[in-house]
Amino acid sequence: MVHLLQILINGLASGAVYALFALGYTLVFSVLGVINFAHGAVFTIGGYLTYLLIGGAVGANGLLAGLQLPLALPFWLALGLAGAGSALVSLVVEAVAFRPLRKRQAEPLLSLISSLGAGVVLVNLVQLLMGAESYSIPSSTLAGLPAALNLGGAQIRTVQLLLLLVATLLLVLLTLWLEGSRGGKALQAVSEDPVTARLLGIDSGAMIRLAFAVSGFLAGVAGGLVGLSVSIAGPYFGIGYGLKGLGVLVLGGLGSVPGAVLGGLIVGLAEALVPSDFSGYKDGVAFAILFLVLLLRPRGLLGKPLASKV
Amino acid sequence: MEAGQRSLPGAALAGALALAAALAACGPRADDLPLQVEGGVPVGAVLSLTSNANAYGQDQQIGLELAQAWHQKRRKADSPGAPELSLRLEDGGGDEATATQAFNLLIDAGVVALVGPTLSQQAFAADPIAQRRGVPVVAPSNTATNIPQIGGFISRVSAPSTEIAPLSIAKALELNPSIRRAAVFYAQDDAYSTSESAIFQKALADKGLKPVTVQRTQLNDQDFQNQITGALRQTPDLIVISAQAVDGGNLIRQLRELGYKGSIVVGNGMNTPNIYPICQAYCDGILIAQAYSPELDTPMNREFVALYKLAKGGAIPPQLTAQAFSAYQVVAEALQRLNKRQPLSQFSLADARKALMAELLSGRYDTPLGEIAFSPDGEVVQQRFHVAQVQMKPGSLNGRFALLP
Amino acid sequence: MRDLSLLVQMGFGALLALSVYLPLRCGQLSLATPGFYAIGGYVAALLSTRWPALSGGGASYPLTSLALELLLAALVAGAVALVLGRPVLQLRGIYLAIATIALVEILRVLNLNMAWSGGAVGIFGIPQPFDGPAGYALATGVLLALTCWLCSRLEAMRLGRAMSAIREDELAARCMGIPTADVKLIAFVLSAVIAALTGVLAAHFLNTWNARQGSFDASITTLAFVVFGGSRIWLGPVLGGLVITALPELLRPVGDLRLILFGLVILVGPILFPQGVITPEGLARIRAAVRRA
Repeated sequence: MVHLLQILINGLASGAVYALFALGYTLVFSVLGVINFAHGAVFTIGGYLTYLLIGGAVGANGLLAGLQLPLALPFWLALGLAGAGSALVSLVVEAVAFRPLRKRQAEPLLSLISSLGAGVVLVNLVQLLMGAESYSIPSSTLAGLPAALNLGGAQIRTVQLLLLLVATLLLVLLTLWLEGSRGGKALQAVSEDPVTARLLGIDSGAMIRLAFAVSGFLAGVAGGLVGLSVSIAGPYFGIGYGLKGLGVLVLGGLGSVPGAVLGGLIVGLAEALVPSDFSGYKDGVAFAILFLVLLLRPRGLLGKPLASKV
Repeated sequence: MEAGQRSLPGAALAGALALAAALAACGPRADDLPLQVEGGVPVGAVLSLTSNANAYGQDQQIGLELAQAWHQKRRKADSPGAPELSLRLEDGGGDEATATQAFNLLIDAGVVALVGPTLSQQAFAADPIAQRRGVPVVAPSNTATNIPQIGGFISRVSAPSTEIAPLSIAKALELNPSIRRAAVFYAQDDAYSTSESAIFQKALADKGLKPVTVQRTQLNDQDFQNQITGALRQTPDLIVISAQAVDGGNLIRQLRELGYKGSIVVGNGMNTPNIYPICQAYCDGILIAQAYSPELDTPMNREFVALYKLAKGGAIPPQLTAQAFSAYQVVAEALQRLNKRQPLSQFSLADARKALMAELLSGRYDTPLGEIAFSPDGEVVQQRFHVAQVQMKPGSLNGRFALLP
Repeated sequence: MRDLSLLVQMGFGALLALSVYLPLRCGQLSLATPGFYAIGGYVAALLSTRWPALSGGGASYPLTSLALELLLAALVAGAVALVLGRPVLQLRGIYLAIATIALVEILRVLNLNMAWSGGAVGIFGIPQPFDGPAGYALATGVLLALTCWLCSRLEAMRLGRAMSAIREDELAARCMGIPTADVKLIAFVLSAVIAALTGVLAAHFLNTWNARQGSFDASITTLAFVVFGGSRIWLGPVLGGLVITALPELLRPVGDLRLILFGLVILVGPILFPQGVITPEGLARIRAAVRRA
């Protein structure tokens, strides 16, 4: 029993990160119908911004060597601001890599490649400025909390539990906002039918920027939280999550918010179910499931039918 | 448009490739030209400055820069007649193709020797090229087995795990003879960690400790909750980790957070102060076998540590930096000795490379690693390895690798 | 020498780009190319290092053995593509792309865990059929020329026209009596064979082969080749593969800014050339201009 509970907890904890990552992808996909390959880089930037805002100093190797902001914000405030900063970066990505192509009504495939280019630029810019070393957010940030909690015999690291809670909170807020607010409804209208949305007087450009901003905010917050949990492993920090996030996104169904969450949880749980003697196959499990699901259900679990090609 | 017209560019393309091939085959060979001595004897270095191996390359680059400054200063003071070196550093990226191109580029530019590449997998791709073209290679960080065996021009200053890894296991058992249940973790997509773990597992078996579980991780994966809870169910009292700084540091932190209290032995890839900020207070007490110890008490190492501290605001040098420093030093000193025997300006480039390799293998070097020499096939012969225990300063992100007797 | 070996890698880039282009020519965005490239490389690496009879007695690896490897790699990759193709090609658009990426990733994890593949260290000491890069340049050039010839022949053949019809409108093509599933499968198998043949040459050229060859990054890079060069005529991917492979090397003089500039090119390329650098219209215009001159 305890073993099963442990598997469940392990699965939820890693699934929450995957879901948080995939949510950002899916928001942009829902309005534009394209995948933003710079998302992982924005996640990285969120981690670095959080580190800087809590008063962390830059190491000796980048152009900013030795820089330390003259402030040391509490972690949660820093995380929020890092999210806002990442939202700005995400808006820049939109303006540079997506808007010019949208204006020309180019194939979605093109923005996939140009966003990939934007990601390469961002990652290498981070390295140029901050060096290649890893940075960590001191665990004293959670002062007073034990390192791990015991839930009915199963162990979970406190940071992971926090991550799970924050991810759930963000998800609930996002759903409430999408369903209940004017902005959220307008966003949904654009994603469902851009032409009608325009007739209704919705500024689709503004909605797309909104989607990028929210997606960037989610990526930035996720980056900061994951940085707290496992440190910021250098400029390629977020890229590692990109591939799995993509798998989760498609498994759940492109453009579907509940799908992204479902996909994340399924992948997290499936990985946790891999017997410990076969841990080497863990990374293949997500993709094996994805592959099988796609064969049985070609548009993912909760995806909408694909209107156009690509 | 008919097909005939379309295939024209294809034929032209193939023709161009063939023509280029023919031209290259009969062009003049730079190797016959005299060695370039004016403005410094050219030496090349190929390090992973980009890609996700960039953190290693960054540590190594500092080592080369320090070695360059140190050597220049010493040349002016001690032996004014000695040849000047001009170091040309190229990015080897993280993949085989980029390292190969960088090797080719530098060899064509007429370097007399090469330092690099950073990763063993890159060495298996790039070293055969240097071997075929007769260019000495001193590897600063390749530890996989069979690297020097690529050929007579390949050598390394980075001792392979076969030598180092078993020491720390022996020390752990010495400190705690009651150890019965060992668990092994390694990063399976990292060539370095995979080879090292095989040696760890053999060393354990030799002591009669068959691992109760072997857990595989990935370099880019930083959340090990699954593997850890799986392993802890086997109630190990020794955990042996082969990983790199960031993933290994995270693994230690998470092991301790999830309640593991027993001994931890880590591999040589984690012999860097870069682990301190990752596992923080949890680093305390881990055992590590080292190919380089900043605490080694020799004049050369004291000087190196002082130089590093001066350059990096008081920080302690990691092993990769010390090994890169040593690799440059080996090349520089071998060139100096060769020049004494016969002035370098009298050599053709090809002869200089060949003579340098022979000179390089025959010498002894007083490096930050301690005294080193080479076996005839280019493997490093290092006098001393160390076993250290991490001691963290309470409440800080700083610690030291305290040498154990 | 360096320029020649860069030329070889550019040739590999062009071949892989054509491998992505072929399915795309009938509207299928398959990113399985790096997987088949990895399979080809493993076939070559395993045969040439584990089967002593192939090496012959001489100093260099016999060309007949290389030919045998090419044949076997083509057969293995073709067979795998034939088996996987039917179910996978029912997927459309981005879902097909992701399913093929999943295949590449599953293959990578298998290669890491299987004993015969050498895991992360991989297989090294792969024997050399050629003395230097010149031989490789020639072999790659020949393979590239053959593939280009095949692609250009396609435009005139019924198969090629069927592919274009599927790309324009799959439903309409099926109504016209085109066996769309078969045509798509042929394109997929051809694509796999080209990638595997490239993998064989690459394994010898790189001297070593491991599980890092053929990854997600490679899937996206090869796609960038095609998008950058243009996906409507075979010359586009060839140009894209050649240029984008060479670019990071040519940018070496800028030092630290190298990959930032490279990223900028990838970013700006699709914006400046939404159809790719090479389009059939552009080519026609050039041809007309040449004729006038």
